[in-house]
Amino acid sequence: MTAGSPGAARPPALSPEAAASLAKANRLVELGSRPPFRTYVADLWRRRSFLWTLSQAEADEKNSQDRLGVLWTVLNPLLLVCSYYLIFGVLFGTKRNVPNFIGYLSIGVVVFGFTSSAMTKGTRSIINNTGLVRALRFPRALLPLSATLTELITLLPALGVLLVLMVVTGEPITWHWLLLPLALAIQGLILAGLVLMGARLLNISRDLGNLIPVAIRLLRYVSGVFFDIAQRMDNHPTGAHIMQLQPFALPIDLVRQCLMESQPINWHHWLVGIAWAVGLFGAGVWIFWWDEAKYGRG
Amino acid sequence: MGRGEIWPRLAPTSPSSSPISTSPIGSKAAKKLGPTTPEDEEESLFRSLFRRGKDLSTLQTVEAVKDVSFIARHGESVGIIGRNGSGKSTLLRAIAGLIPPTRGRVWVSGEPSLLGVNAVLMSKLSGARNVFIGCQAQGLTKAEIRERFQDIVDFSGIGEAINRPMHTYSSGQAARLRFAISVATTPDILMIDEALATGDADFKERSAAKVAEIREQASTVFLVSHSNATVRDLCSRVLWMEKGVLLADGPTEEVVAAYEASLPKRKPPAKPAQKAPAPTTPDPKTQPPKTPDPKTPGPKTPAAPPPAPPPAPEQQAPPGPAAAPIG
Repeated sequence: MTAGSPGAARPPALSPEAAASLAKANRLVELGSRPPFRTYVADLWRRRSFLWTLSQAEADEKNSQDRLGVLWTVLNPLLLVCSYYLIFGVLFGTKRNVPNFIGYLSIGVVVFGFTSSAMTKGTRSIINNTGLVRALRFPRALLPLSATLTELITLLPALGVLLVLMVVTGEPITWHWLLLPLALAIQGLILAGLVLMGARLLNISRDLGNLIPVAIRLLRYVSGVFFDIAQRMDNHPTGAHIMQLQPFALPIDLVRQCLMESQPINWHHWLVGIAWAVGLFGAGVWIFWWDEAKYGRG
Repeated sequence: MGRGEIWPRLAPTSPSSSPISTSPIGSKAAKKLGPTTPEDEEESLFRSLFRRGKDLSTLQTVEAVKDVSFIARHGESVGIIGRNGSGKSTLLRAIAGLIPPTRGRVWVSGEPSLLGVNAVLMSKLSGARNVFIGCQAQGLTKAEIRERFQDIVDFSGIGEAINRPMHTYSSGQAARLRFAISVATTPDILMIDEALATGDADFKERSAAKVAEIREQASTVFLVSHSNATVRDLCSRVLWMEKGVLLADGPTEEVVAAYEASLPKRKPPAKPAQKAPAPTTPDPKTQPPKTPDPKTPGPKTPAAPPPAPPPAPEQQAPPGPAAAPIG
């Protein structure tokens, strides 16, 4: 209301202390300081519809880039399944002793595909959206989260094909199928947590981004995508147990338990999965929040 | 509503020098290197080996804004003027909280909202999607946006193109849409980076009216512009930036007049000096104390030259983020 105070002589610059106390007296908020963690989480929750809009828009945009569009999200995993089947199943013989190997492999490929794409895109979501970060103020964690959600949305057609494939390869439809959403939710939260951590790391040093494809390849080979961990490591029961329960292998296992008759439900694994999901997601948000004021510089 | 004053302030954290520095590409990397002292050299060589692209050997810190301090109040409309590369846009982004300053602090009341010509939303998505994304980021609900959607589109004058991806827009169209999005809510602090210069006459009129309306609602408006006419029309107060330093701060007429007076005389020699301040100079030695009295434009003009000649021979440094507005 004191519009302008134009004619007034400019006061000399205040000392930092005086400035701080004046700001406090007028109840001003300091910019570039991260909000308290609880406020941050509440803010994230308040903007959840923004998260949804962003993910949906990105998913649509992704599908519209190619002529065949959505078809690729289905074709890609199918082609991958074929090549894995030939190389690992037939050539290296990992299909021995695995009932319904095609189904087994397809679940591995599709579910790990989500891990791979979310980790690749999600960790870059801050540095690839500098424009958005510099244009608008919103809790930055929304970007990695929406990238993860986007990948989940684009996974859906492939999942549909997977279900059809299960029926075609002779799996009976049981009530276990109802657990599928839970398994995917566990995976989604695990990934979101890891993506948040990775996004912060990449914001600190972009160069680390070059390591992510390597890490994903390594994980693909140790996470039981195309072989049965327990079977391959039957002389190292502890090692096998650790490999089965690590957060990248576990979701694949859980989905197989949902969809395949030969894989009985193991509640112990589900509990570990939920623990991973809660733990990693919480840790991810917390770790990401630490640098909240620093995104957008680079 | 608890809004006493809007009061962005970049206050020094140390009494001597407190630059806000940004680097053209990665301020974090640049910051680590900072002043290249001899013992740094080996490390910087090591680092440069791992740096990709053009940056292979030149990592530069550009101090785009140095030791700027001011208070803005509710209902004020503040113009920021200065040559290309003088730090206007960086200052604007710093007080919008979008580029965190390396030193100094900014306090605000309410949420700043910045729109700039260079602010890209999601260019692959359609304008309509961007309206939703932009408005939701500002805290509107979907229902509210649907209600205002037509208004926003009408205001922007985009028409049918709203359903096309934003990368198909002309720069003027994109700027108009961004402006329409950022004024869809009444922001507490509106920052405009050259956006108004890109519109046609009709749009300029509409946007001027909108800015006036926003000011009436006791929000504060910051405007970066190279058009002195626009600044005169819209601003009650003007900050004059020169080489990252706040040269003058006062009523529009006086400061703009002083700025204009400095232009024709200084233009030929100032050209090379327009480049951003030298990289890796932590001490703002060239920086004069801010001219204490903005009321006397006469003496101020002579105050401007001193910083200009000395840095002139200094090495080229890309104006970097500070040079965002061109035109």
